[in-house]
Amino acid sequence: MRRTNKVYGDVSILILTAFLAAFGVLAVYSASRYVAQTQYGDEWYFVKKQAIGFVFGVAAMLFCGRLDYQKLIGKKARWIALVVPIILLGLVFVPGLGKTNYGATRWIGIGGVTIQPSELAKYGFVIFSSAYMSENMEKIRTFKGVLPVLIAGGVICLLIIIEPNMSVTMCVGLLMLAMLFLGGMKMKHFLWIFIPVLLAVPVLIIAEPYRLSRLSAFLDPWENPRGEGYQLIQSLYALGNGGWFGAGLFKSRQKYRFLPFAESDFILSIIGEELGFLGIFMLFSISAFLIFRGIKTAASADDFFSFLLAAGITLVYGIQTVINALVVSGSIPPTGLPLPLISSGNTSLIITMASMGVLYSVSARNNMKKKGNEKVRTKRNRFFIQ
Amino acid sequence: MAVTFLFCFLFGRFLYVQVIWSEELNYRALDQWTRELPIVAQRGKITDCNGVVLADNTTAYTVYARANAVLDKEKTSVVLAQTLGLDNQKVYEKLTKKKASEITVAKKVGKELIENLSATSLDGVYYSRDNIRRYPKNNALCQVLGFTSSDNIGTTGIEKYYDEYLSGKNGELLYETDLVGIDLKGSVATYLPAEDGYNVELTVDYGIQEIVESALEKVAVEYTPTSAECIVLDVNTFEILALASYPSYDLNDVPRNDMELLNKLTRNGVVCDIYEPGSTFKIVTSAANIEEYLKGNKAAFSTNYVFPSSRTRAVDGTTVKCWSNHANGKHCNQTLAQALNNSCNPCFTDIALSLGTNTFYDYLSAFGFGKRTGIDYGGESYGLLLPQTAVRGCDLARIGFGQTIAVSGIQLACATASAINGGYYYTPRLVKRIYADDGYVLKENEATLKNRTISEQASKILAEMLEGVIKEGSGKKAYIEGYRVGGKTGTAQKYENGRIAAGKYVSSFVGFFPTDKPKYLALVIVDEPKGAYYGSVVAAPVAGEIFQGIISLKNISPSKTE
Repeated sequence: MRRTNKVYGDVSILILTAFLAAFGVLAVYSASRYVAQTQYGDEWYFVKKQAIGFVFGVAAMLFCGRLDYQKLIGKKARWIALVVPIILLGLVFVPGLGKTNYGATRWIGIGGVTIQPSELAKYGFVIFSSAYMSENMEKIRTFKGVLPVLIAGGVICLLIIIEPNMSVTMCVGLLMLAMLFLGGMKMKHFLWIFIPVLLAVPVLIIAEPYRLSRLSAFLDPWENPRGEGYQLIQSLYALGNGGWFGAGLFKSRQKYRFLPFAESDFILSIIGEELGFLGIFMLFSISAFLIFRGIKTAASADDFFSFLLAAGITLVYGIQTVINALVVSGSIPPTGLPLPLISSGNTSLIITMASMGVLYSVSARNNMKKKGNEKVRTKRNRFFIQ
Repeated sequence: MAVTFLFCFLFGRFLYVQVIWSEELNYRALDQWTRELPIVAQRGKITDCNGVVLADNTTAYTVYARANAVLDKEKTSVVLAQTLGLDNQKVYEKLTKKKASEITVAKKVGKELIENLSATSLDGVYYSRDNIRRYPKNNALCQVLGFTSSDNIGTTGIEKYYDEYLSGKNGELLYETDLVGIDLKGSVATYLPAEDGYNVELTVDYGIQEIVESALEKVAVEYTPTSAECIVLDVNTFEILALASYPSYDLNDVPRNDMELLNKLTRNGVVCDIYEPGSTFKIVTSAANIEEYLKGNKAAFSTNYVFPSSRTRAVDGTTVKCWSNHANGKHCNQTLAQALNNSCNPCFTDIALSLGTNTFYDYLSAFGFGKRTGIDYGGESYGLLLPQTAVRGCDLARIGFGQTIAVSGIQLACATASAINGGYYYTPRLVKRIYADDGYVLKENEATLKNRTISEQASKILAEMLEGVIKEGSGKKAYIEGYRVGGKTGTAQKYENGRIAAGKYVSSFVGFFPTDKPKYLALVIVDEPKGAYYGSVVAAPVAGEIFQGIISLKNISPSKTE
């Protein structure tokens, strides 16, 4: 294992990640306190879990930050990263292992630990595709060369969509397209994929009737305020109650069982209610800054693998954050997607923090290379232009 | 670039939702954040013109439970059942029913029980003040006052007509709760006070009302009529001083389960029912004649004119007869005054036909027939008046003495009052003013002149003629020694299915005093009296008794002898 501690990477990535995760613990506490008390008799029920996730997350982040991520490019490593999540995704459907909540089987329970394989799969796909594409830069220009990436992404999407989990499927789909684009795929091939995907959307919506009603609920939530429109209305009520400066920390009204999933997918609504637009503005600024640091790290990478990996990690975080914010504010139809680093849910928290550790490790390697060899710059510029 | 754009879009969207849309969203959300308990406004009192309370409230409470907020359902239902005397099983069922989040446990619970209940301080159980309407005078003025529903909404009478003033505006006690109605810890209930209803002061004088009701009671015992009605009117203002119908009912014990009986008992016959007035209507015919004669109309008869003595008149091929057979010579060689005394029908046929349809209908209209008087009471009748274009000579001949026309008691009373008060027709009123407990007067119902009917001179002549009816004619039984009373009797046959019903009469009398300066007017209508049927026998003594009562109540000294 190569020691990178002599040269520091972009420390702001670690600090921002830890800050956001810590803020998440606080937000989860505020949002879940009442529901936890009335449903589990313990107002700390959710926040305890989240705090444990935070501790493990910090550990995972620091561990990954010291890890030589270059090893992930290895044939063995990349296949493990791809296949293990796929197997876990398959295990979801094994009776006794899979756990069903709200009509979807998305979790597997082993002992007292519950994990959500789709969270792992996103990063598995990033590692696999980065490794494959950086090794086969020329092949990517042909359609045949793109196939392994497409198949890997397709299998993951397929497994997630039959859970069902439309929103994560869409995230992985978006991620796949973005990765292929960054990997240098030809525009012609890109369109060949992109157009069928676009055509698939209406088919997928029709396949599950609840998606159609969600779509109409999004257009006018008050048409069915007790049914499909309920979630969105409650989210908007929360945001509206926040105003400029918010109702004050712990002073949300909507968390008193009015807003379902207040501690998970819709935690942003409660944050907006308690801290107001100003709080949202600051949170988004921090998120945006973290994304910019990720882009910077990717742009500074001196090899193609590092570039793709850093970009992929940043993409996973960015896509989820933006989609979650769009959902919460009623800009796109509601889907169940957590706000990374903030929402309650340990799998997502630990894995996201770990991925930020990897991102840090990429930035550290960049800095080391920069120190060690100024000539790297010319080579790096090639990817930047690309 | 794309990232910056996305975040700019997000900022904009959140700014819109949180700041610009905020107010509307909050307004909508407020409704779901609170559960409210009503604070029932105190319903206004109803008093007579001297402040005698005719309707007020006793305080009671309604007990509510919010099932989700009741922690120990078994214990709560046991305590509720014991304290309020309810069936434990039923209360428990209510509490455990999933459908309703808020249930009413008991209504109209007394103050003492509530104090016992609040001592147990149960979770999820609430109570709020309510009204029980109380009528201290029980049966008195029952048709006029009316009553309220169990939700304190006026359903009949003044309670209904003036409900918007009496009811007030309910307040609310707002509790901050979670989605299923459990109170939030440390939240403070918001108190929106109720606005109590306004009090209503009637024009009715309870003293006179009592006299009227006991007089009707007496005539009812003597003649067992199907119904008897009376209205006492202040001639100069058209304020209704008394208005009673027999049979009556106890407002504190309304027969709500028997709809037919309820409809019958609550009906205000004087305002809502019509009848063929018969001879009392001759006042109107006389008024028209005198006024027209004074105006110089050649078709009108002089007060000295002697009407032909025949018992019959032939009109349009039909024969109009007098009720009397003209045998004893009383109906011979009569002037108008004598015709009124004897209530001789042919003389009034002569007047109506001589004045003609157009002139006579002008007077009918001026005296308010065929239209509502505008009294402040719901469901007033229009009466039945043949349209002017459809009227034939034989109809006009009969209208002259009060047949082929149907009027309401209030129409006849008002018409008579305006005929003897100098010719002023006002809008009759039951309510004098609407005021708050602190004395603030919201509305004062002043006398409003609708129109003139006849001249003061004609009115004076008519009043004197009607005094003669009491002194010398058919109204003798309403005569009071030392007082100048005027009036007119009426006996009308009843029609059933378009035919005269044998032996069924409406006996009536309209009288007033003192004739030189009329103040009190009473119209008595006795429907289907048994044993006797002439207005002079049945109805006139009732009015006499009422006037006697008013004289002693108001301490009115006798008029100077002429």
